[in-house]
Amino acid sequence: MFDMKKVLMAVGLILLMPLALCLAGETGDRLSKESVIEKIQKDKVIRVGMSTFVPWAMKDKQGKLVGFEIDVARQLAKDMGVDVEFVPTAWSGIIPALMTGKFDVIIGGMGITAQRNLKVNFTTPYDYSGMSMVAHRKKAQGFSSLADFNKKDVNVAVRMGTTAEQAARKFLPKASLRLFENESQALQELNLGRVHAVVSSAPMPVFHALKYPDKLFVPLEENFTKEPIGFAIRKGDPDAVNFFNNWIINQHASGFLKEKKAFWFESRDWEDLVK
Amino acid sequence: MLNKSVKPLTLVDLAVVLAVTAGVFFFFVRMVQVLDYHWDWQAIPGYFLFKDPETGRFHANMLLQGFGTTLKLSIWSMGIAFVLGTLSGIMGARGGFIGQMISRFYVETVRNIPSLVLVILFYYFVSSQFLDAMGLDQWVRNQSAPVTRAISLLLAESGQINAFVSAAAALAIYEGAYISEIVRGGINGVSGGQWEAAWSLGLSPFNTFRLVILPQAFRRAAFPLAGQFISTIKDSAIVSVISVQELTFQGMELMAATFLTFEIWITITLLYFILTFSLSRTISFFEKRMAIRQ
Repeated sequence: MFDMKKVLMAVGLILLMPLALCLAGETGDRLSKESVIEKIQKDKVIRVGMSTFVPWAMKDKQGKLVGFEIDVARQLAKDMGVDVEFVPTAWSGIIPALMTGKFDVIIGGMGITAQRNLKVNFTTPYDYSGMSMVAHRKKAQGFSSLADFNKKDVNVAVRMGTTAEQAARKFLPKASLRLFENESQALQELNLGRVHAVVSSAPMPVFHALKYPDKLFVPLEENFTKEPIGFAIRKGDPDAVNFFNNWIINQHASGFLKEKKAFWFESRDWEDLVK
Repeated sequence: MLNKSVKPLTLVDLAVVLAVTAGVFFFFVRMVQVLDYHWDWQAIPGYFLFKDPETGRFHANMLLQGFGTTLKLSIWSMGIAFVLGTLSGIMGARGGFIGQMISRFYVETVRNIPSLVLVILFYYFVSSQFLDAMGLDQWVRNQSAPVTRAISLLLAESGQINAFVSAAAALAIYEGAYISEIVRGGINGVSGGQWEAAWSLGLSPFNTFRLVILPQAFRRAAFPLAGQFISTIKDSAIVSVISVQELTFQGMELMAATFLTFEIWITITLLYFILTFSLSRTISFFEKRMAIRQ
């Protein structure tokens, strides 16, 4: 005996097959059409979210943006044949701003972390950064290791929402943290001697100590973390990840990234631009 | 002029002036000592205007641009808030049950949300649904050069227009709730006898309201309204959290780049003060003129 239900189901499945195949083909098509790469090319502009971080991105004397990230984003736009538009954004709100489409990509020295990666997608690293520390000569006299700072009565200032905050929590769990919206506020607190040290991405702590040698010093000889830095884009866009990854691989290979890094991080030739 | 006699300076006045001067002086001396801060004022003028080394022409730099944005933002949000608040105020005072409910709902909701929260909610939720989806920034980018320039002069550049419009709208809604209460109070403050007098002259209810009540209500509301406008300028500083490039945001960006924390904060304070103080002086000038006319 035929089971009428099974027959009907089989017929239905056979009829649906081409439709399913069509849909599968369309998904790939749709993904590439919805990619931010497509949008950038259509609009002829790439909108880059960033925040001021010396020397990654900052305004020069004439109010023009300069810095390592800025060079990277400009070169990227040039290679894509589009204009670049920078969207300076408060760091604490930069991920929600990306997720709600206020710009296309974050090129802002953003360290790749698991928590951030749950919300956004990252490219392969285009740079590595590490945490460093600058301390107050009087308050942190004789301190020379992380253990010296990891004490109950030690105050450490960091910029809110940065990997510096995470690093400080991880490596200095006993010290009390003071969180600030901007790096300049954290450094001000240090200059006033209200905190023992500021934790921040290299090379800023070293530069700052060089500026006030009689008051500040660098207690640790080497950076105490190494962090990969990537572009951040909205989730669900494999085309964009692929495009940006390959662009980054190319720029590593051509020496562009190395050359820019040497200029912004190892030399101080750019200081006249800013002040 | 008003007949105000100038009182002679007494010894007590003199003592107060001396005490205040000494207090201010002591404060600054202590501040310099405690802060142990390397003051560097030289760089500040350059952040207002800089000379293009190639053309030799002067261009507005960050602080002046931020000042301009604050000014534009204040004017737009004041304008919209005034319209919104007046409508809601009239509805609250003279509208029927539904009108009064709408007005109360608006005022109570907005007044009980911190302005910071309102600005953020507006930017991430409301503006994402409308402005970003409509592609306002792309539309601006596609216009011809003179149109784009006009828009950037009146509002903001294409890259910042969504944030600017969202900020202006959020501020307008926020200030509008307060204006609504001021207008409602002004209308309710006009005595009932005015209505009866106008009716007995044969004016229609609409004309009574338009020609008799509203002018008197606005005269009563004029100075609280002016105070609200000054508040708008000060409140505009909060939109720096959604990265609108107004004075406070530009100042913070500059501080992040130059570490001239105190010089820049002091400069910003002065700029806001110049703006609000000159507005309040203008208002009191008109206040005197109106007092004479009455």
